[in-house]
Amino acid sequence: MVASFDTHLFWEVLRSEPYWRGALLAIALTCASLGAACLLGFPLALGRASRQPAVRFVVFLYSWFFRATPTLLLLIIVWDVIPQQFTVFTHNWFTPFLAAFIALSLNEAAYMAEIIRAGLLAVDPGQELAGRALGMRRWQILRRVVVPQAVRIVIPPTGNEFITLLKLTSLASVISVHELLTAANEQASISFSYREVYGAALVYYLVIVSVLMFLQSRLERRFTFRSRSRGRTAVGLAAAAHDAR
Amino acid sequence: MNETVLRAEGVRKSYDGLPVLQGVSLEVGRGEVKVIIGPSGSGKSTFLRALALLEPVDAGEVYLEGEQVSGLKEKQLAAHRSEIGMVFQRFNLFQNMTALGNVMVALRDVRRVPRQEARARALEFLARVGLRDKAENYPEELSGGQQQRVAIARALVMRPKAMLFDEPTSALDVELVREVLDVMESLARDGMTMVVVSHELRFAHHVASSILMMDEGKIIEEAPPEQFFSAPSQERTKRFLALVE
Repeated sequence: MVASFDTHLFWEVLRSEPYWRGALLAIALTCASLGAACLLGFPLALGRASRQPAVRFVVFLYSWFFRATPTLLLLIIVWDVIPQQFTVFTHNWFTPFLAAFIALSLNEAAYMAEIIRAGLLAVDPGQELAGRALGMRRWQILRRVVVPQAVRIVIPPTGNEFITLLKLTSLASVISVHELLTAANEQASISFSYREVYGAALVYYLVIVSVLMFLQSRLERRFTFRSRSRGRTAVGLAAAAHDAR
Repeated sequence: MNETVLRAEGVRKSYDGLPVLQGVSLEVGRGEVKVIIGPSGSGKSTFLRALALLEPVDAGEVYLEGEQVSGLKEKQLAAHRSEIGMVFQRFNLFQNMTALGNVMVALRDVRRVPRQEARARALEFLARVGLRDKAENYPEELSGGQQQRVAIARALVMRPKAMLFDEPTSALDVELVREVLDVMESLARDGMTMVVVSHELRFAHHVASSILMMDEGKIIEEAPPEQFFSAPSQERTKRFLALVE
């Protein structure tokens, strides 16, 4: 006989502290790692186009190593292998969360570097030429012209990376980070009510990704360079033209 | 009137062993307008980019008001570039800035003009090209002719010693050519020193101090408009004029 879905248990675990704490942890880990990966990925992206062969080689080594290493293995290396080698990492400040943050950031930076590089390359070279003709320096052109335009191009693939990273945070359970899926596993081993327990975890992931998608579309609009009123009119006109057909 | 503003001496340039400029010299006096015509691939655009200090040359020099400005370090080159206005065939307005932002940015970044003053000057130059009311619009929202006029204002606001135009109307729909040529004519009347690569022969006839014919990386003929059109000395010029008219 199949047991009926226990709605009460479902709501219970959905609202339980381990769940929302785990979800917050997963979000925090994802945001922090993605942020750090962007900061690290930007110089890596510039380094790939450097005129210095040595710089290009270092960037190549970085991306080769971190793309080849499985994320799970990297987590273990940072949490278990490195402290065995360097005793500073055995102190209290080196928490599982910090280890997971370091591993995920280093790993993600290799991918963000590729995305950022593609974004920078996609900006029309005429933009830089015009900046140079005005006497602007390279970094000024980068900051004022190229980067703002590249951001628009980089947002959608970065949204994908956020989602991937969110799911990767569940790997951090192996180094005893109590994220969302760890909480679900613990609940499951107590109650054996898999549908309710994992269903509740699924709800969290769906909600988090939905919020992200909303924020992403807002951000995309923010980096679409059209004046507000005109933008609205243009959309309105296009819609009207469409309806007329 | 005879003071030389811009002078090029024996400029040579090859790409991958293919000679594009084979010793081009040019002298432009204050208030003169030189129009360069010639078939595509004759080196007109490359020569103009060399004059704008955007293209390192293999041999030869460029002088601005008697001072050698070619072959300098990047920092000095950038400073001199801001003294030469350049207008591109494809406008190359900064897509992430409004018309006003486009005209202001180099005043702020290169000339370090305070924001309020830069804004006032930018608006003044937008008014000069008849686009004061488009100040808050982004390039995407402007017609090609309007974009090119903003590009002219962006160059003019730096108070350049000379203005260079690289086929400024050839990317425009026919009905938009006039508004750009009108702005250029009024500039010429105000005594701006100009070098224009263009096949607008009526404009050349009205405005040019002299017309230059370029072919295969050399200037093969230079003459005042009347003489150039009625009695060109070179067979090559005759054939080219027959094709263009």
